[in-house]
Amino acid sequence: METLKELFARVLDIDKNDINDNSSPNNVALWDSFNGLMLVSELEKNFDVRFSMNEVMMVKNFKDIKETLKKHSITEGIEG
Amino acid sequence: MELSDYIIESRKLAKNSSMRDVRIAFLSNFTINGIAETMKFLCFKYKVYAESYISQYNQYAQDILNKSSGLYHFKPDIIFILLDIENFFGDYYYFYYRMDNQQRGDFIQKKFDEIRELIKFLKKNTNAKIIVNTLLIPNYSSRGILENKQDLGIRGGIYNLNNMLESLSVDSPQLFVFDMNSFCSKVGYEFMRDKKMDYLGDMKISPSALVKISFEYMGYIIPLMSMTKKCIVLDLDNTLWGGIVGEEGIENIKLGPEKEGKPFLDFQKRLLELFEKGIILAVNSKNNYEDALEVIRNHKYMILKEHHFASMKINWRDKVTNMKEIAEDLNIGVDSLVYIDDDKTNRELMKNILPEVFVLDLPEDPCLYPSAIESLTIFNLFNITDEDLNRGKMYADQNRREQFRAETTDIESFLKQLEIKVDIIQANKMTIPRVAQLTQKTNQFNLTTRRYQEEDIRSLLESGKHIIKCINVRDRFGDYGLTGVVIITKCDNGGYWDIDTFLLSCRILGKNIEFSLMQNIIDDARRAGIKKIFGRFIPTKKNKPAECFLEECGFLLDKEENEEKCYTLNIGEEKKNNSYAEVIEWKL
Repeated sequence: METLKELFARVLDIDKNDINDNSSPNNVALWDSFNGLMLVSELEKNFDVRFSMNEVMMVKNFKDIKETLKKHSITEGIEG
Repeated sequence: MELSDYIIESRKLAKNSSMRDVRIAFLSNFTINGIAETMKFLCFKYKVYAESYISQYNQYAQDILNKSSGLYHFKPDIIFILLDIENFFGDYYYFYYRMDNQQRGDFIQKKFDEIRELIKFLKKNTNAKIIVNTLLIPNYSSRGILENKQDLGIRGGIYNLNNMLESLSVDSPQLFVFDMNSFCSKVGYEFMRDKKMDYLGDMKISPSALVKISFEYMGYIIPLMSMTKKCIVLDLDNTLWGGIVGEEGIENIKLGPEKEGKPFLDFQKRLLELFEKGIILAVNSKNNYEDALEVIRNHKYMILKEHHFASMKINWRDKVTNMKEIAEDLNIGVDSLVYIDDDKTNRELMKNILPEVFVLDLPEDPCLYPSAIESLTIFNLFNITDEDLNRGKMYADQNRREQFRAETTDIESFLKQLEIKVDIIQANKMTIPRVAQLTQKTNQFNLTTRRYQEEDIRSLLESGKHIIKCINVRDRFGDYGLTGVVIITKCDNGGYWDIDTFLLSCRILGKNIEFSLMQNIIDDARRAGIKKIFGRFIPTKKNKPAECFLEECGFLLDKEENEEKCYTLNIGEEKKNNSYAEVIEWKL
């Protein structure tokens, strides 16, 4: 299993150290609507969850992803 | 690997000089992001570098109907059209039954005409292969259990439309229909559609299914790039039958219509079916020759017999050496071979030493052997010719020929006694598929190795500036079929002709037939008042056998540039070569 940051860095082709809570489509070049969907499908696979459509729509930045995963009782691999 | 992995991995691929190019266009009425990257990745494994064009979101029709659109600027070799039923039918996907019977019939016809017009326009303006999918038949109907009692219900209507689409492709060498419904029955409706992805991004096909479709689409790229495999080389123990014959004996190996023997029998049936389509079979096995042959000859359920195998290497030598010899025996490149062996070590060895060979990763469980064959797209052809269907018999003829040769004292009397007859035929509607196939498949005796699709050959013929002749060769042992092509570019104003293509299939090499064909061209030129014929030899890894041919015919070397040799023949200065064939020219 990848950590959240590893996965995020891989799918969006950025450096792990450049990710912070405020990372969003506004400041990550490859985070467009399609790669947003790829992120969803990778996260679901990696953490074995299914997000609702509403949850996906609510995500505005990296912090929101962490919070959503926590709501699904996922704690491992999302901090750090 | 998932769709996102392909997208990420494809960013790392860099083109190198040994790669060939293919230009792929994707046109669709829904989001298909990621398919181009996946195809690029899959092509890369075949040393093919894919450039792609994707129509703007739902702009496929505008792209097709505007001759100055990006699509035509891109100059695709192949065009994949992906149509989703829901977007294609619009509101009628939901309110289909607001239409009465008559209206439903008209609607289906109208929607079919829409696709037909687009395809017609494409065919007129490009030589690219066109692949369009059948529309997915929905698994829901508001009519429930009465759906199939409706006159032209939603399923029946789409079914009719799909049938019309398939009929449209039957007579066209340019158009192919990808059956989305058969694909769906393979992967499953649930797998194919991910509603969340659909609502969020109009991805009508789930990311995972899009990857699977790319694999299926490779089945079109392979014949397009002339990468179709020609021969399957098989291990015996635990591959064609269960168990080890040398240890367990013919009576104890597993092969037959019941239980453990059945997967092996079915596996052989799949192989035999491929043989009947024109795929050559061969054996490469570590075994005592006698033990193995006893099974092949005498086992009641061994349906693959000696005469199905064009080459049998059953010995204790290493399998790589055997493999190279099989390629030599059959006069084909190792890159035309597929290797099937249950032993992982042997497979890895083959992959490492002969990476050109396609090694099938046979599953552990023999139950899955037949499906492993079914999953292969490497035997796809755009057209199955008579030559393909008769290949098996041709190899049997060849064995008799070789026996006869062993009995004759010298090569000259052998060739004389073969009673070779060469029919020279102008390329025409009937022969175009085979002519194109020969330009794609012939590697050894081929002066220029220029590859043509059927559409290209047709355009050359229609231009009126070319002579395209092909030869059919027979001898006392049988018919080799259409096995040679020459394409001449006529520059009558300049008083010369130029040999664009001159090739002979490896089946008929070593019989001096090339000289008969060249003589025929020279005679034609003389009659047309032509003074010079230009020719060139473009070297490849494989066409050494044709290197000296032009000189042998009396052509003089003019210049060498980029390893390409350019020659001229002054008519009247040609050299005579012994030819043993009777030449019959057909003027149709």
